[in-house]
Amino acid sequence: MGTTDELIIEAGRTESQYWRDLWKYRELFYFLAWRDILVRYKQTVIGIAWALIRPFLTMVVFTVVFGNLAKLPSPPGVPYQILVFAGMLPWQFFSGALSECSNSLISNANLLSKVYFPRLIVPTSAVIVSFVDFMISGIILLGLMAWYNFVPDWRIVTLPVFVAIAFAASMGVGLWLAALNVQYRDFRYVVPFLVQFGLYISPVGFSTNVVPQQWQLLYSLNPMVGVIDGFRWAILRGQAEIYLPGFILSIGLVFFLLATGIWYFRKVERTFADVI
Amino acid sequence: MSYPIIRVENLSKKYTVSHQQEGYTTFRDAMTNGARSLGQVLFNRQNYKPRSASNEDFWALKDVNFEIQQGDRVGIIGRNGAGKSTLLKILSRITEPTHGSIRIKGRVASLLEVGTGFHPELTGRENVYLNGAILGMSKAEIKRKFDEIVAFAEVERFLDTPVKRYSSGMYVRLAFAVAAHMEPEILIVDEVLAVGDVQFQKKCLGKMGQVASEGRTVFFVSHHMGAISTLCDKVIYLKGGQVEASGKLKRSSNFIFQMFFRIKFKI
Repeated sequence: MGTTDELIIEAGRTESQYWRDLWKYRELFYFLAWRDILVRYKQTVIGIAWALIRPFLTMVVFTVVFGNLAKLPSPPGVPYQILVFAGMLPWQFFSGALSECSNSLISNANLLSKVYFPRLIVPTSAVIVSFVDFMISGIILLGLMAWYNFVPDWRIVTLPVFVAIAFAASMGVGLWLAALNVQYRDFRYVVPFLVQFGLYISPVGFSTNVVPQQWQLLYSLNPMVGVIDGFRWAILRGQAEIYLPGFILSIGLVFFLLATGIWYFRKVERTFADVI
Repeated sequence: MSYPIIRVENLSKKYTVSHQQEGYTTFRDAMTNGARSLGQVLFNRQNYKPRSASNEDFWALKDVNFEIQQGDRVGIIGRNGAGKSTLLKILSRITEPTHGSIRIKGRVASLLEVGTGFHPELTGRENVYLNGAILGMSKAEIKRKFDEIVAFAEVERFLDTPVKRYSSGMYVRLAFAVAAHMEPEILIVDEVLAVGDVQFQKKCLGKMGQVASEGRTVFFVSHHMGAISTLCDKVIYLKGGQVEASGKLKRSSNFIFQMFFRIKFKI
């Protein structure tokens, strides 16, 4: 015991210990996510089936509204349902993660003010919960592919890359919102609005091709445009083309948000217990 | 052998108390205040004063110094607002000090509140795992001690009942049992013995005594002088954020000590 490392607590000195602690508390990621998933479907009759029903019904509505009523084009040989669902998967992941993440610190306020652990765990677990939902909704995509006899080609193996980018996007924006929400509760009202609004300005119900060429680059300032386009490219046999400059812009923005998100979160997290 | 396991030097913690605003700052306030002070900086450089008339500094702790040897059982006493909880919060790394430093050798486990992180919808079994993880135990460690924890809490029959249906006594017993089975080198406990019936309180004190007798260090805050004098061998008395008195507590002088403190400091 004489050889145990010495821990020094001083103002502004958490840096050196932080990442090691994060590793030490790695099981807490799992436990917090596990708690949220367990709690979500307690006292419901159909339980986890809700995770399937919600995206399925949204997909049906979008297909009817954008595909059948508005008659927006879908790439040749691709059923509109699959086009919609390939965009909706990452969008629902992103929007779910954003709502959960931004509220995660507030709803765990009792933990933050009574126990020490690296605070980064709380919002990350919230994103993991949404990620589990995302994986479950993925089953619907498989079902749709089987139903329409739609076989993806080699591009599908690149999907994990785009999943990782979606994860980075959710984390980046989520960390910003979670940290800001601790100090400024206004973000409680901003986030639902952002999520609702984002659904219409992201290419979820339609493909990016319907956006006029001259606006494509501006459109790509929405980080989800790159993510959704990537998903469609990987799933739809390359039928949905990626607009490369826009894609690079989107991805650059995603990683910029992630890096600054972590930076800002680390900067303000030491005051969370006093402010929350 | 004894060496300082905890060394606290010039520890201070400042809080800013605002007298005008309600509960939390809104983004709008921050922006208007920011714009206003920016405006003042730009247009009125000479007599710029940050707008802080309504804010007041409050030192919850001021220049606190002490050393704790390994195996010490330290009682921290003082009246409400003396800085006891702030001290424990800084020791357990929940909040940062404004000045000063603390050097700690060994794993710290703190129990500032019974049942932190318990979720009412989850069952007793699930909460043991969750709470254990939050307190820094590994899954394997919790698994190993699970039966012991349940036996200590005496809730075997209700393990698969959501804790929202527990009586408050059962709830608290389970929560304390999890915390009591951590194996830290330093255990920090804040006023948790005000819970449970007399028998359970005795059990808790016994458990903490056992922890201490294994050579581990215990920090204990209480208003209950009886508990302090049975458990602790050293006392730190805080007043107004400063160490007013500290010293060893001899077994034989318990009664005298108690009377002395009661009279001198009116607690």
